[in-house]
Amino acid sequence: MSKDSANPEVQEHAAEDIHPAAKPFLFLVGSTFKRNFLWIPLVGILITTILGVMHPLKHPAPWDVIPGSWAVFGFLAYSFIVFMARPLFKLLSRDESYYGEGGLPDPYVSAEGHSETNPETSDKSGDKS
Amino acid sequence: MDLSLYMPEWLVTHGPAFLIVLPLLMAAITAVFPGRKLAWWTTTFVTLILVLSAVALAQFELANGMDVYQMGGWAPPHGISLKIDALSAPVLVLISAMALVTMIYAMPATLAEIEPKKRAPYYAAFLLCIAGLLGMVVTEDAFNVFVFLEVSSISTYVLVALGSSRDRRALVSAYNYLILGSIGATFFVIGIGFLYMETGTLNMADMARILTELNGGSRVSMVAFGFIIVGLGLKLAMFPLHTWLPGAYAYAPTQVTAFLASTATKAALYLLLRFTFFIFSPDFAYVDAVLVFLIFGLGIVGMIFASLQAIFQTDARRMLAYSSVGQVGYMLLGIGIATTASLSAAYLHLINHAVIKGGLFLALGAMWYRFGITRVDDFRGLSKTMPWTMGAFTLCGFSLIGVPFTAGFVSKVALAQSAAAGGYWWAVGFIMVSSILAVIYVGRVLMVAYFRSPPEIDGKPCVKNEAPLRMLVPMWAMALLSIAVGMNIFGASDILVGASERAASLLTGTTFPGTGG
Amino acid sequence: MIDLMNINPGLWIILAGLICALFPKTDGTHYIRKVFLIAAPIFAGWLIFQMHSVEPEYIRGVLNFGGIELTTLRIDGLSLVWGYLFCLAGLINGIYGLHEKCRITDSSALIYTGAAVAGVLAGDMITLFIFWELTAISSVFLVWKGGEHAYAAGLRYLAIHVFSGVLLLAGAVMVAQSRGGDFTFNFIGLNTPGGWLMMIAMGIKCGFPLLHNWMQDAYPKASITGTVILASFTTKFAIYALARGFEGVDILIWIGAIMTCFPVFFAVVENDLRRVLAYSLNNQLGFMVCGIGIGGALAMNGVVGQVFVHVIFKGLLFMSIGAVMYRTGTAKASELGGLFRSMPFTAVLCLIGAGSIAAFPLLAAFVTKAMILAAALEEHLWVPFAMMLFASAGVMEHSGIKVPHFTFFAHDSGRRVKEAPWNMLVAMSLAGLLCIVLAWPWGGYELLYSLMPFEMEAYKPYTWDHVVFQLQLLFAAIFAFTLLKRFGVYPAERRAEIIDSDWLYRRLGLNVALWTSAMWDRLNFQVNRLTKRSLGQVGQKLYQMFSPAGTMSEAAPSGLPAVLVAGTLLVTLIVIYVLGT
Repeated sequence: MSKDSANPEVQEHAAEDIHPAAKPFLFLVGSTFKRNFLWIPLVGILITTILGVMHPLKHPAPWDVIPGSWAVFGFLAYSFIVFMARPLFKLLSRDESYYGEGGLPDPYVSAEGHSETNPETSDKSGDKS
Repeated sequence: MDLSLYMPEWLVTHGPAFLIVLPLLMAAITAVFPGRKLAWWTTTFVTLILVLSAVALAQFELANGMDVYQMGGWAPPHGISLKIDALSAPVLVLISAMALVTMIYAMPATLAEIEPKKRAPYYAAFLLCIAGLLGMVVTEDAFNVFVFLEVSSISTYVLVALGSSRDRRALVSAYNYLILGSIGATFFVIGIGFLYMETGTLNMADMARILTELNGGSRVSMVAFGFIIVGLGLKLAMFPLHTWLPGAYAYAPTQVTAFLASTATKAALYLLLRFTFFIFSPDFAYVDAVLVFLIFGLGIVGMIFASLQAIFQTDARRMLAYSSVGQVGYMLLGIGIATTASLSAAYLHLINHAVIKGGLFLALGAMWYRFGITRVDDFRGLSKTMPWTMGAFTLCGFSLIGVPFTAGFVSKVALAQSAAAGGYWWAVGFIMVSSILAVIYVGRVLMVAYFRSPPEIDGKPCVKNEAPLRMLVPMWAMALLSIAVGMNIFGASDILVGASERAASLLTGTTFPGTGG
Repeated sequence: MIDLMNINPGLWIILAGLICALFPKTDGTHYIRKVFLIAAPIFAGWLIFQMHSVEPEYIRGVLNFGGIELTTLRIDGLSLVWGYLFCLAGLINGIYGLHEKCRITDSSALIYTGAAVAGVLAGDMITLFIFWELTAISSVFLVWKGGEHAYAAGLRYLAIHVFSGVLLLAGAVMVAQSRGGDFTFNFIGLNTPGGWLMMIAMGIKCGFPLLHNWMQDAYPKASITGTVILASFTTKFAIYALARGFEGVDILIWIGAIMTCFPVFFAVVENDLRRVLAYSLNNQLGFMVCGIGIGGALAMNGVVGQVFVHVIFKGLLFMSIGAVMYRTGTAKASELGGLFRSMPFTAVLCLIGAGSIAAFPLLAAFVTKAMILAAALEEHLWVPFAMMLFASAGVMEHSGIKVPHFTFFAHDSGRRVKEAPWNMLVAMSLAGLLCIVLAWPWGGYELLYSLMPFEMEAYKPYTWDHVVFQLQLLFAAIFAFTLLKRFGVYPAERRAEIIDSDWLYRRLGLNVALWTSAMWDRLNFQVNRLTKRSLGQVGQKLYQMFSPAGTMSEAAPSGLPAVLVAGTLLVTLIVIYVLGT
């Protein structure tokens, strides 16, 4: 990131290196951990489902006859929400300067490096139409 | 303090006539005065006497009641009679007090606005206008009303036209006002004519008696009523008939604007009350129909439309003028509902609005006096360059919106309550919407004045240049009065509410529930 | 002279704000403002404690005002919780903003906090209205401090809130009318049209579906500290008013249930994380509204507890995203990622907040949300219960996983920044600590219970079935996330403006207005042309007939007013003849 070194606003907050307290935890983003992370919730589900059979709900809803009903519900609900994301994004997303109220694109320097995030150009297009 | 105890005996007896004769006489004398100083002193002195006597008469009326005064000793049906009662006394006090307040302001203002030669006639016309307004209010004779209406109107045309040395558009406005005012007066006199045809008398009390006997009378009196409503509607700037008002208010000399805004339309409203409820009566089917469908309806339409128009004005004085039309809508709404509570609320709003608008126009006048500005865009940074003037403007502006603890709040809440009680709860919604519109048009000015920095002149920011004391005192008097009414300091609110409840109960012929305060 | 015990404690915070506003703006004076910012909420909280210890139903400051009796100070079980909560939130926000040197932010934050405190301690509807409006007017400056792009949003925010206040007043007048002039603020109900107006006014302020847009519009655009402060008070003030006035009103159950669900879908597609949090805030408010609708001691205590912890954990989330924004200059998910390398402490605190909002056992919402859900079950409200359960999965999605994941983990954005400033860390730690303490199974949540106003048998949150089933839901959500992520189904964050129903007025309404105005201009022009032409013809005829010199026709006054006069006369006569006889 050489182009933002001139910007004092960015410079003031920049740090040289990874925070020392974070170094022991870098394994969290390592590929081994990421690949095998899947097992943790899966085991969690299994254990809690078994425990759930042993300790049923005091006020069960009609659908709570299925073992692990809340896990099923949670999985389906979560997947439904995520699957809805794509069509909703298509339906609802507009360009960031859509309402044209000025001053938009947020970061001084975009990590994506898209051309439309350049403040100068989009300021003009973001002005009152 | 009861002023009536300190007044000479003859004033109490001949007071009603004195109120008209004094300014009429002094107008003639003032017109030929050579110097403007002398003219100002005389006029101010005359208005001071008028205030004192109006207050004394009002207090006397409150304590003892007043008889009908017979001009020249001629008994009512044939002679001309004058009367001060609970309905007219507060309006008399209002007119004379606003005259005095604006006169104090006028000393520096006229210097800047009126050519030296024309200053003495200007004050004479002002006195004539006062005489006309007081006469309209105090007389008991229907034709006399027309005469005084014309006296005040004609002198007003002159006063508006005198604004031409400040802004040439005053001439066109005065001309427009003249044409429309004359149409209004003509309609009014036609109505009176029809009424005379029907009843054979010009005395109001007589007319009322005969109309009641005839149970509303024939078509002739219906037509008469229509003409009178339209004629008065023009004078009081009822919504579609208000077109003369913005121009006249915007280009008249600043003192005249403040005075007119707080008295002229109010006197016409007073006449509307007097004609609708005294001479005619809401018991007549056609009067009731007009009240419900026309006065009430146009009141609501005016409230919304005029407020919308006010939002889009660039000139602050035109904005306030449209706001006046909107506020008249509130009063018409109260009159249209025609219960004792709503009439009382409308009457209270009439007085409060006079005080508020008077203060606002005085503040605008002071801004013009110092910086020559009337456009909202030019108000940048006025909170820094004229803090006191802007302070008074802000207080009065809040009052106009109806912020709690101000006069506007008191009367708007009373109006909303009476509307809800009268079964028009949906009208409360319109009152609220119109209040929001008021927030927008007042807020627009305040935003510019408080949040933008003063303009730069030759690279330096504009320095503080406060209005002279003689302008600040009247406008702050109005601002503080509106706060005093809002917070009931010195019982100000109680006095006004009491007065309007008395007036309303006189109109509907009932005793007000829980009259006390 | 001035009796401390008779004056609404919120007024002292407002006074502190006014002093800050008038304090000269030279170098170094901001330290004095900061002292006020910290001390005023503590002082007010202490006063509330003193007053409450005098008697449980503490009513003072009764003023008679033009025939209306105002109760300016009322501390009872319900308002006490909010009073403490707002003072606590004011303190945390004050610490969080210590690094800022902005006079406007400091003074408006104080006035806003004070107005919220004074508002919940108000005993009548007029006082409530006054502080209702004051919260709106004082807080809009925080929005405007967000910069140029926040200006229009601030105006909309102000307009909507002032409108809500006006509705509240109109409703209050009508309600008082129906009760014979009694303005005391107690249960209102929907029996009168005034009650509906008041509920809509409160609904605007706490984001009922379709009335919610101001929240997602203004909050993400405010300044960093501004958003944190804004998120603490306005909506919770409205929840208080609803809880006071509309407990057990059935329609609120459904409104609340819908309110928990719809923001979930917006939150999943939104890129601006502060806007995600605003939607999440809206969803949380849904739980509270639903609880109020259910009514009864269990649900209402659940609502009270939920409000209390919600302010803390929601503040924590906004604070952590604010800290990230302070360092990186953005809160867009697409621009962030991997920040735990640079801001590990913030990351941990954010995870505590995320866990709290998702109701992990041992963290704040676990106790309180369960109470609302349990109340729904006890009433056999299956459908609202299922909707809230669905929304719980949604909360896990957007606040529990999306916000921390895309900020602190995910792919590395390459941004290397400093850890958050010390004062932010202190404020966040305080909130994080409270999140843990208030759900601590051994003596922690009883603290929260001691504040709850309604008498009932203490609800036991840490039972086998509750812990186990809650964990089932959460594990399943995490599993679904990892699975979908692994198969690339989880959509990547992309920069975009997500339109909500505010499109109707920000785009459609605006365009309709512009079009109407343009058409109006054209119409005016055409009408003018036509009238000129026709009047000109009439004038020519008049000229030919009457005035050979031709001066009269020129000087004719503007005809429209005269026509209007004639028209009015006609209408008047019609009214008289047709309706009057």
